[in-house]
Amino acid sequence: MTRYALTRLALLVVGLFVASVLIFLTLRVLPGDVAQLIAGTNSTPEQVAAIRGQLRLDDPLPVQYATWIGGIFRGDLGTSLITGSSVMTELVQKAQVTIPLGVMAMVVALVIAVPLGVFSAMLRGRVGGTAINVGSQALAAVPVVWAGMMLVVVFAVWLGWLPAQGFPRAGWTQPALAVRALLLPAITIGVVEGAMLLRFVRSATLQAIGQDFVRTAAAKGLTRTQALIRHGLPNMALSVVTVLGLQVAGIIVGAVVIEQLFSLPGIGRMLVMDVGNRDLVKVQGELLVLTGFVLVIGFLVDLLHRAIDPRQREVA
Amino acid sequence: MHRRTLAVAAALVTAAALALTGCTGGGQAPTSTGTPDPNASVAIRLVLEPSNLDIRQTSGAALDQILMDNVYQGLVSRTPDQKIVPSLASEYQVSDDRLTYTFTLREGVTFDDGQKLTADDVVWSLEQHRTQKGWADAGRLARVKSVTAKDQTITVTLKEPDSQLLWNLSGRAGVILKKDDTIDYKTQANGTGPFTLGSWKQGDSITFERNDDYWGDAAKVKEVVFDYIPDNQAALNAAQAGEVDVVTGFDANLKDQIEANGDYKLVLGKSTDKGTLAMNSTDKWLKDKRVRQAIRQAIDHDAVIKALGSGQTMYGPIPELDPGYEDLSSVAPYDPDAAKALLKEAGASDITLTLTIYNGYGTTIPQILVSDLNAVGITLKVNAVEFPTWLNDVYVNHDYQLSFVLHTEARDFENWANPDYYFTYDNPKVQELYQDSLSASSDDEAAGYLQQAARIVSEDMAADWVYNGASVVAVGTNITGMPSVNVNERLNLAEIAKSSQ
Repeated sequence: MTRYALTRLALLVVGLFVASVLIFLTLRVLPGDVAQLIAGTNSTPEQVAAIRGQLRLDDPLPVQYATWIGGIFRGDLGTSLITGSSVMTELVQKAQVTIPLGVMAMVVALVIAVPLGVFSAMLRGRVGGTAINVGSQALAAVPVVWAGMMLVVVFAVWLGWLPAQGFPRAGWTQPALAVRALLLPAITIGVVEGAMLLRFVRSATLQAIGQDFVRTAAAKGLTRTQALIRHGLPNMALSVVTVLGLQVAGIIVGAVVIEQLFSLPGIGRMLVMDVGNRDLVKVQGELLVLTGFVLVIGFLVDLLHRAIDPRQREVA
Repeated sequence: MHRRTLAVAAALVTAAALALTGCTGGGQAPTSTGTPDPNASVAIRLVLEPSNLDIRQTSGAALDQILMDNVYQGLVSRTPDQKIVPSLASEYQVSDDRLTYTFTLREGVTFDDGQKLTADDVVWSLEQHRTQKGWADAGRLARVKSVTAKDQTITVTLKEPDSQLLWNLSGRAGVILKKDDTIDYKTQANGTGPFTLGSWKQGDSITFERNDDYWGDAAKVKEVVFDYIPDNQAALNAAQAGEVDVVTGFDANLKDQIEANGDYKLVLGKSTDKGTLAMNSTDKWLKDKRVRQAIRQAIDHDAVIKALGSGQTMYGPIPELDPGYEDLSSVAPYDPDAAKALLKEAGASDITLTLTIYNGYGTTIPQILVSDLNAVGITLKVNAVEFPTWLNDVYVNHDYQLSFVLHTEARDFENWANPDYYFTYDNPKVQELYQDSLSASSDDEAAGYLQQAARIVSEDMAADWVYNGASVVAVGTNITGMPSVNVNERLNLAEIAKSSQ
């Protein structure tokens, strides 16, 4: 187990390194220059050059990369070229919107996927099961932006139940308002992600139904449903957790889009704005944290899996 | 299996994030009847949030708008009708040869950190503005030879007369800072004005607190909150929910909605916002003056004003608020038939041009330009880009055919006298007239030279001025002292008051 964990950890580090190089280089391809942006439209080339020098944008790329990574090893994600505040501080601040949004989306996804997934497996071959199946296939294919706009039209514009956009200025000091503001965006992401998750739950349930111990339990006088819930669910949970880990990436991408649509002051919107400002130091920090987050979740899911399921241990 | 999927997922997050982030390329305000509440907090909706607060070198009207006058001051300041008045200097004299300006520094002025303002600070600040290459508007003090001080008297000596010196000292180039201040200018401020910087919630709001140690009359409210709400509909919602007291940068087309419940009054003020359609004179087609004139005559400027619901037409580079303005509407009046004839004459019927425009400007103006130009046989392609891309392609590399930018700065005629500016306009006569205006011995004389120069720029069809924007401000009926002129540029809140109703 230890060896496996160490191998997995090494992979994680290599993954992060590759991601950091990719992120760094991709951003340097963008046209435009933060120094020019700071200097504005009544500036002279000398002024821009002076600002470039101050921000050390003229350093060779390897030096810039080394500076960035060196800072990370010291636990410093760097300082925004524009705002002058620490990237970490801003990430933490914006995470107060994005993480609750992600968690709420996850809950919505589970609430949709688990009961319906189990249900459609139990009703396999019947009209209800097929309907759920087809519906989830269709929903999973819906672009998250479109889903968001539809929900806004219905719940915000027509019914007026929920705000169409924005986040209360007082933030989480007004929890009710904050949750209300995140409800529509979370449902948007949750519905689309939930539709995908549903199909995993369904196949996991089908597998469970077919397993010996469930059949044995059913033979002992439990109904099929009782048997499934009592003996099948724990097993299913494992594969659902794995898939959920995978969906973190989807939820993050969803959050980036949805925060734009609902103008929520979260990490996604900050990322879009920072790219727009060519605040590359900040963007690379943000992207690395997001990528790292996804990779770490994957790493943990793998370890968890191995810890729970002994059968995995033979396959190293 | 999971491992690979995770790696792919991680790559997807990165790719999607990158893709998503677009790697594609004066009226009078109403007077209130209540009693002003000295402990009031006024919430003002603004559109553009500053990217940071560094008044020294971060350009952009978003900083001037809130920081100038309110937090930072110069020796002199501007009134809403663009007159120069004493500020940190209690008085000033200009020598007869206009080469020596003598300012008397006020006593009893302190910075926000409690330190006393001295003549030393003033000399240091002006010298920094003059010599620091990375600072905004450094070139505006180019005619200054030296800045010296004796006791409370500050002497600015010029190499040659500069009719714009006082104006420039009332702007960025004249901001007085504490000598060798160690604050982080990007996130902090240490000025001498009636307000101090309270807090800044990035992406949301900036709060100013009343400066109780202010040298002049104390501000009439305890606190001002600038709420940054880019979207006009969201601003209207905020107003209807009573979350803001004043809405600036509003859409005049929403007048009836915001005035509906009687809590707000829409006020239109003049501004120096110039919607400028630059034409690249090095372009195959646009180097022909006839083509440029045709473009100008193809645009229905009155229809633009109608569509915007505010503003006024403008047929030359100088807006009505600035010195040197005259009505140039006869230079290139709207006349599609004349435009067609000109294009035919130039052999440019059925040409295709590309308009490069910052995507934050919305679609109204591009749509009007596309249809107006289409009506005379020009196919206009719209290339909406991020602002850094616009800066790179248009501003730095002059790689464009047509470009639209809302230039907000007051008295910025200098760009027409600068052949290296992205306008690609190079006329020695205009440059000479501009220099003459700087050397002029009176404001009227300076304005006269500018007026002559502006006429030439317009007659050369150097560009088109699609519209001169207005300051559209919705003011709560319980608010007094809210400026209404050019508020995108400067928003002096020394007089704003709020009564409890």
